[in-house]
Amino acid sequence: MKEKFEIDSNSNVLFVTDQCNNHCIMCCQPPKKRDDFDYHFKKNVALIKSAPKETKAVCITGGEPTLAGKQFIELVRIVREELPETEIQILSNGRTFSDNALPHQLKEIGGDKIFVGIPLHSDYAGDHDKIAGAKGAFNETMLGLYNLADEGIPVELRVVINKMNYLRLPKMAEFIFKNLYFVTWTAWMAMEDTGYATKSAKHIWIEPIDYIPQLCSAVRVLSEWDIPTSIFNIPLCLLPEDYHQFAAQSISDWKTKYLDICDDCALKEKCCGLFATSKNVFKGLYPFLHSI
Amino acid sequence: MKKYALLPFNFTRLSGKEVLVNELGDMMITPIGTAQKIVDRSLDDEDLYKSLVANFFISEELLPSLLDIYASRLRLKKSFLDDRTALHIFVLTLRCNQNCVYCQASSREEGSLHCSMTFEMMEASVKLMFRSPSPSLTMEFQGGEPSLESELIKYGIELAEEINQQECRELSYVLCTNCRSLSDELLTICKQYHVLISTSLDGPAYIHNKNRGREDSYEKTMAGIQKARDILGYEAVSALMTTSEQALDYPKEIVDEYVKDDFTDIFLRALNPYGLASDNEDWNKYHERFIAFYKEALDYIIEINKKGTFFREDYATIILRKILTPYTTGFVDLQSPAGTVNSVLIYNYDGYVYASDESRMLAENGDYTFRLGKITDKYEDLVYGVKVRNMGKVWANEALAGCSDCPIKAYCGADPVRNHSTQGDMYGFRPSSFVCKKNKAIIEYLISLMIERENEVMPIFRSWLR
Repeated sequence: MKEKFEIDSNSNVLFVTDQCNNHCIMCCQPPKKRDDFDYHFKKNVALIKSAPKETKAVCITGGEPTLAGKQFIELVRIVREELPETEIQILSNGRTFSDNALPHQLKEIGGDKIFVGIPLHSDYAGDHDKIAGAKGAFNETMLGLYNLADEGIPVELRVVINKMNYLRLPKMAEFIFKNLYFVTWTAWMAMEDTGYATKSAKHIWIEPIDYIPQLCSAVRVLSEWDIPTSIFNIPLCLLPEDYHQFAAQSISDWKTKYLDICDDCALKEKCCGLFATSKNVFKGLYPFLHSI
Repeated sequence: MKKYALLPFNFTRLSGKEVLVNELGDMMITPIGTAQKIVDRSLDDEDLYKSLVANFFISEELLPSLLDIYASRLRLKKSFLDDRTALHIFVLTLRCNQNCVYCQASSREEGSLHCSMTFEMMEASVKLMFRSPSPSLTMEFQGGEPSLESELIKYGIELAEEINQQECRELSYVLCTNCRSLSDELLTICKQYHVLISTSLDGPAYIHNKNRGREDSYEKTMAGIQKARDILGYEAVSALMTTSEQALDYPKEIVDEYVKDDFTDIFLRALNPYGLASDNEDWNKYHERFIAFYKEALDYIIEINKKGTFFREDYATIILRKILTPYTTGFVDLQSPAGTVNSVLIYNYDGYVYASDESRMLAENGDYTFRLGKITDKYEDLVYGVKVRNMGKVWANEALAGCSDCPIKAYCGADPVRNHSTQGDMYGFRPSSFVCKKNKAIIEYLISLMIERENEVMPIFRSWLR
């Protein structure tokens, strides 16, 4: 994380807490139980006050940032006051939004330049809860999504692909179109090989190359329905060419790495690369020798 | 599998599969025997079990936590009811410059007297239209041939625009015309107020002309379409076809004609038993042949799409929107509660308000059952009157015998006017209803296509719904 914000960076992060009410089995930043709200709040306020006014975007994250409650809303208020033109991205599991007071406050204080990124792990509640490590998580997240939609707050849905959910990805796409038709964007994301993901690799790790068919089928369903959708964290060489159009430069600039073989690749500039933080690199990587 | 409770759904068997449909219209294609296994608590396929939970067919909680989401989705499906009547049809005249063999509107000779709306009637009708609370209002001009009354059209539109300065509704206009005599003056009005042209084209010249009872009809219609396109733009002109008995032999030729004429869609419409068409001798045979015609035409349209040309069948698109998307549809004939009054009101040349287009057609045969009152009556007396209240008892297929337990009722609608005209009572009797038979056949055919040719048809169907 940076100590100072940069105008064009995609990683101006306001870290609110290490605490979380989910315990996702593939979490790359496992939660810690300690009262750290005040500590981070002071740091964040200083970051905001010193930030250039032209800063394009800031990302409020954690842990679960909304657990800070009033302090979370206060943080949004300070960003809005100090950086009126800056887009505020909030990464949350959505559960606390199941009480409609919070999304309402967020809309009133945050205004229009705001969106919330929320992970959905499955269309089946049981699987979602298992992956999120919390019973009842799916229901609360679903209600949270509806409450956010009711306030007109844009939502980016994030599906982190793992061994426990990849087989249902096409069914999830239909589920999203029917039940979460209001989401602005759906991102399908490869796991980072770090934190819990490495620890419980046996149960949850799956190589992108092994779920490409299910992923592509899900992406095709949403794109045929005209729902904006994108693929995060998967290098172009692992995707069929028809699907390059959905791949996004998704990895924070400070976390991106490329391999030596990537130097020969004609598409390196367009590629998201790999997580520098990952223990291992994906299987099946190769350079494109000619541009396409 | 966990302990679970059943949520309401119906099922049927098609193409070797069991098709489950819940109250939202969400459909699942499952192996034969699934409904029985659900009831017996003997589901053995874990993936299927998860899908049944995810799609609101069964619930792991007795009182599902997501019932509010279910309710919210049902509200979206029925949201055509939220704003009430949006479509307002103005039957300007019965005068017509053609004499179609199947005329459902009882049109009269061009020179006939006493069968046109007066300016006073137009004024009262427009004012009545604004009593509907709908934020968007569509004025549709019909006849006879409404272009023969272009002064009345101009007057109606200008009055609506004037009133709308205060009302601030979203106004749109449709002119239903055979395009035979579109004057420059009329097209200037259309351009000024963005009036959409809805014309009638039955297919190639040999079908179109025969149906119209005029040798030059096709030529005149095509010239009129071109003229309207030149002035108003291609997207402002659409066409409808009506399947006469003769047309039943030419599904491909009719589709080809529409493609050739640069239309991007076609509405394959069956004859309705009103006006001249009600004299048709054998309705049973006609409907059977129409269903075969429809299937053949639809298959052909799918082939055209597979070859890379976007071309849509409108009736299928309406049904597919109900099956595949969470959204509502605005099509008056396939709604529950019915589109009559809820979605459409008719202001007739005779100075009366009717419940639907078909209602005023019945009146021409002396049946005034669905005449709601005079255009000078109070809005409340018209739409909350005894007649509408009585229709209201039988206009939801969720509560009609023969419909309520129908597996595909979510994709169909209720039509008390049609039941009255063909079966003698508004409630209707499904086993002998031609509408039921036709809709069922078409809806089931679409579902069969999605089962048997999924990979082939789904990208096409989704493209029609974008």
